[in-house]
Amino acid sequence: MKLLDYLTKLDRRVIYLILAIVVILPLVFPSTQKVRVMTPVQRLFNTVEMIPDEKILIIDFDYDPQTQPELEPMAIALLRHAFKRRIKMAALSLYVQPLGLAKLAMDQVIEEFNSEATTTADSIIYGKDYVFLGWQPPPIIPLLGMGISISDVYKTDYYGYKTDSLPMMKNVKNFNDVGLLISISGASAPLWWITYSQTKYGVAVGAGVTAVSASDFYAYFQTGQFSGLMIGMKGGAEYEELIETELKIQQRRKASEALGSLTAAHITIIIFIIIGNVGYFVRRRK
Amino acid sequence: MKKKFPLLLVLILGIIGIIPYYLPHSAVQNADNFLRNDFLRIISTFAIVLGLGSLMKVHYDKIRRHRANFQYSYVLIISFAITSIIGLFGGVEGDLFLPTRIGSFQFDLQTLYTNIIVPLGSTMFALLAFFMASASYRAFRARSLESSLLLGAAFIIMIGVLPLGDKISPHLPSFAQWIMDIPNVASKRGISFGIALGAVATSLKIILGIERSWLGGGK
Repeated sequence: MKLLDYLTKLDRRVIYLILAIVVILPLVFPSTQKVRVMTPVQRLFNTVEMIPDEKILIIDFDYDPQTQPELEPMAIALLRHAFKRRIKMAALSLYVQPLGLAKLAMDQVIEEFNSEATTTADSIIYGKDYVFLGWQPPPIIPLLGMGISISDVYKTDYYGYKTDSLPMMKNVKNFNDVGLLISISGASAPLWWITYSQTKYGVAVGAGVTAVSASDFYAYFQTGQFSGLMIGMKGGAEYEELIETELKIQQRRKASEALGSLTAAHITIIIFIIIGNVGYFVRRRK
Repeated sequence: MKKKFPLLLVLILGIIGIIPYYLPHSAVQNADNFLRNDFLRIISTFAIVLGLGSLMKVHYDKIRRHRANFQYSYVLIISFAITSIIGLFGGVEGDLFLPTRIGSFQFDLQTLYTNIIVPLGSTMFALLAFFMASASYRAFRARSLESSLLLGAAFIIMIGVLPLGDKISPHLPSFAQWIMDIPNVASKRGISFGIALGAVATSLKIILGIERSWLGGGK
């Protein structure tokens, strides 16, 4: 009974310490966890695969440092997929904060591809294979304006080049030339693309979202408004699994590595909840 | 006039915002595009300047009057001034005329962002996991049928979204997915309808001048 008393009155610092240990250990000794690919991620992968040559993929990087660990692996997996399949890609953000993170993710993946390239044709070249449109406030301007003219909304890109002058953008006028738009966000940006851009211009939208906000997005996936969905760390790991098995891309899989830490944290929290409840029922009987 | 003019402005612009959804005529669409692409862009630029000015004013007043925790306002104003100078004259990646490198020490905007904002932001958010663990241990109790159902669903989702769930039983992830797809979506749809109707009602009240609290001025 003393042990039960002790367990049900654990000091919060002990809980913090236990959680810190179980989260940190799997990150220090990472192991890649295999995952079963679920329907929402498989559909997103298939939709990216089916983007016609003449159309582009837009990735909306809308995650900030707070949600970076959960969402960045999704962005990196998508970039690897797009560049491997030579799908033309335009990146943008609806907010200013994610710009730096978008650049970090793109620089990393471009370096991976270009370090293995032997000719210019193999390399990923700015303006030809991808563009970084940057940020245009307020969000309603790109959400609706890109349906009419992308270069009117983003007159210059992130680096200050005239958008019209970039070779990749010569044949890209508006959403009609976009095969898929994927919004990776820790907030409700993916819903805005549906509410405004898809409703008015019919652009296909996919999303990568945090696990905690997932329940907001399922309804839109069920109705087919989202072409596919990646949810939380597991969603990122599933996409990593797909690009490794289907496209033979062998690179570091951060989401899959983090699943060990996530598993340990979930189990620890479940054990704490069970202990708390056992103590509650024992005391209530007394 | 001080009250009537903003109300009139909201009425006119509110109606202008609605019309393009119902009239697909090119003249209406072009006008809408012009208003959004040019007019709104200018207004939002002013809004950013106004917002930053207001932020500085609030913190300057806080320092001047020595209000609670006024020391943090120094941090904000100094950080704001330094990043503004570096951003405006040094460029995002140190590509303008202000030098943003001393030897191997680099301090352009991208470097500052990667090395200060990113770790600070991640740290703040990571703390949530500890508070959540502690709070769920203390407060998540199966006190009633409803809370027991919630607890059961939480356990299934928490294990079902992990590779471990698949190892326990291949049906567990599918069951977790079912909970998210059916009961979760059913309740979310109900909530979404309520929010949407509430938003329409509130928007109409604002456009028609019935709801005026946004004008400020207390009573």
